[in-house]
Amino acid sequence: MNKTLSFAVACVLGFSPMAQAQSDDIAALQQQINQLKQEYEGRIQDLEQRLQQVQSSTIEEPQPTAPSPRNTKNSSRQSVSSGTAFNPAISVILDGSYYNDNDDGKGGEKLESLDGIHNAHGHSHDHGHDDHGHSHGGMDRGFNLNSVEMAISATVDPYFDAKAQIVFSEDSVEVEEAYLLTRGLPAGLQVKGGKFLSDIGYMNKQHTHDWDFSDAALPYKVLLGGHGLGDIGLQLSWLPELPVYTRLGMELFQGRNEKMGALVGEHHYEFEGKEYELTIDKEKSAPRMWTLFAKFAPDLGYNHALQGGLFYVRSNQLQEFHGDDAHVAGDSTHALQGKSWLAGTDWVYKYDSAGSYGQGDVRIQAEYLYQVKDLNVAYHASKPAVVGATRKFTEDGLYLQAVYGFAPRWEAGVRYEVVGLTNKKESANKILDEWESSDRWGLNVTFRPTEYSLLRAQFTRGNFSILGDEERINQFWLQYQLSLGVHGAHAF
Amino acid sequence: MKYILLFILFFSAENVWAAQLKLVATTSSMGMLAREVGAEQVSVKVLAPPDRDAHHLQAKPSMMRHLRSADLVLAIGAELEIGWLPAALQGANNPQVQVGRIGYFEAAAQVGLIDEGQAADRAQGDVHPLGNPHVNLDPVRMIQIAQALAQRLGNLDEANAQVYLQRAQAFAQQIKSRLPQWQAQAKAAKGVVLHHKDADYLLQRFNVPILGYIEPIAGVPTTAKHLKALLTKLKVKDGGVIIRSVFHPPQGAAFLARELGWASHAMPIDPPLGADGAGYLAFIDQWMAAITSNQ
Repeated sequence: MNKTLSFAVACVLGFSPMAQAQSDDIAALQQQINQLKQEYEGRIQDLEQRLQQVQSSTIEEPQPTAPSPRNTKNSSRQSVSSGTAFNPAISVILDGSYYNDNDDGKGGEKLESLDGIHNAHGHSHDHGHDDHGHSHGGMDRGFNLNSVEMAISATVDPYFDAKAQIVFSEDSVEVEEAYLLTRGLPAGLQVKGGKFLSDIGYMNKQHTHDWDFSDAALPYKVLLGGHGLGDIGLQLSWLPELPVYTRLGMELFQGRNEKMGALVGEHHYEFEGKEYELTIDKEKSAPRMWTLFAKFAPDLGYNHALQGGLFYVRSNQLQEFHGDDAHVAGDSTHALQGKSWLAGTDWVYKYDSAGSYGQGDVRIQAEYLYQVKDLNVAYHASKPAVVGATRKFTEDGLYLQAVYGFAPRWEAGVRYEVVGLTNKKESANKILDEWESSDRWGLNVTFRPTEYSLLRAQFTRGNFSILGDEERINQFWLQYQLSLGVHGAHAF
Repeated sequence: MKYILLFILFFSAENVWAAQLKLVATTSSMGMLAREVGAEQVSVKVLAPPDRDAHHLQAKPSMMRHLRSADLVLAIGAELEIGWLPAALQGANNPQVQVGRIGYFEAAAQVGLIDEGQAADRAQGDVHPLGNPHVNLDPVRMIQIAQALAQRLGNLDEANAQVYLQRAQAFAQQIKSRLPQWQAQAKAAKGVVLHHKDADYLLQRFNVPILGYIEPIAGVPTTAKHLKALLTKLKVKDGGVIIRSVFHPPQGAAFLARELGWASHAMPIDPPLGADGAGYLAFIDQWMAAITSNQ
């Protein structure tokens, strides 16, 4: 090929006007032509070499693969994911159960009335807050549709990720989470904003389908309420480049938690046709609650993972209204107000056995919560003298649970929970009231046909202190959870 | 003067070390490519060891710590790591390695995939509508991935761009020099029964028939009924090999091996944790030996 080309070049040059030049120029011309010829041959050789190189470095397409319109070899895609076709990733989790207990179906309610600082006046206190539509605690005997959780998440733009977690129960809808998360902050910083579950503790941030048990642990249920600590707010977290994983964070919340930040909305109440005015502070400007948390996790290799955490929650305003009977005032009607705080520690250990379908895996999890309500008497219907007296309430709780993969796809779990190891009401260091603790043992077996579905049987035996009496309550669940839609990624 | 020079030398050496790119690979296959193409210019951390299923890991805080300092994340992609990598990346507070940024690299996005465009129907098990993600067992696709990786490393570290391309080229040459031998070797293979669709790329590359899967559908453990049907189908064949991954349960493979009298192997689907290019070739050799052990 190069020979014909150089011949053509020579011809073109040979018949150019230059060819009619003087005869003594011919020698010089020939020299020039030879030079050109050499030059072109060189170039052509070079080109051929390059062509060969390109051909040899081109790889044949895998033969058996049918050509696909969406995917070519020269595609410049950054990543392959089914959640990125501009649609947010949507997943839906259906959670239902058969439930029964030995207390005419009141087992779930009994959990809300354990003796302690949140039931210090019998069943009569009113936190001025409406009950939410869906409750993780109250269950009917028989079949229950616990919840339908819909999670929608997407990357908004280069700066934000966003997620919404909407919980449907049979007759209500609740936005459990709806937040943004920054993607591009420097120095290991991240900001979360919107409505979200606080990062305090381990279990608090988990949704019901992340739990290893059918219901929330007692310390959370009793000290923070069925929903844990979730509110509208802002979080700043920092991951410094230390040798050990360390995550430090703080959060600001509106402060509407039913146990730690409830307010008495009404300043008037009616009793026997007469109207009384409650002398109580106005609602302070929000955010009224802040938290601090720290998590540490050493790198223990591929088989082990350990994380420990410390946390603190502070609510700047808490108000309680107590009457003789719910919503009806009487001689002992009074109101308390002040602040509350909670501190705790959370520990998780996971063992990955490398067995198939989770066989041999172990998860151990423990948390301790300690809560104080520092209140003053703001109003008393019949004893104005006690107004101003301090009322300090203290209660704590812990749980310890372990789950073991005893066969491929099968897990067995055991849990011990107790609340009220410290459980008292004081005034100026004098104990006014002290309550017994309540505890509960739980056992369960979980079967996961695939990673998208789960069937669980759980039995718990509670030894509860209710109005000073000891009550033994057995509860039983047969639960299913189905995960529809995109494959979710689970946080540690 | 000598001391000053030594001092300068020490600190320049220190700088060379500091200038190493921090690569975090999800699997040991990606770690191998990182070592082969990046060599002394990079440090490599592998998140998923080859003895366990990279599809079923947990997003551990220690992973987030590695991702926090990473310059480049190398994933297999096509949703293989979907159960944990997105969560680990979100918890890593490192903007550079988020999906779509220069610090995030997916192998599956660099090559054509098999089984792409399957119906996204979970009745078919843990299907990947984007295609089969286990591209690392095809040495030819690994050449393409290595070249794409070399380009990416060149973008991150322009001073050494040429070096990365040369190393990818050398890796390609190593594989190409072995291809004829593997092709000849594969002619002796009568067919393979796999546990999961994790070696399809290798078998298709060398035209080795896939005789069946021990899993009835992807990601679901086998049943007696399925095994019996499979056995009936396989009995009429004149031979083959049964291969499962090291992390899959052995019962199904053992049953078929016993009934058929075929060889059965538990194979890793990724090279050893610290493997480089040579380790990868040895790993493919190991697979070729297993595939052709049907005599």
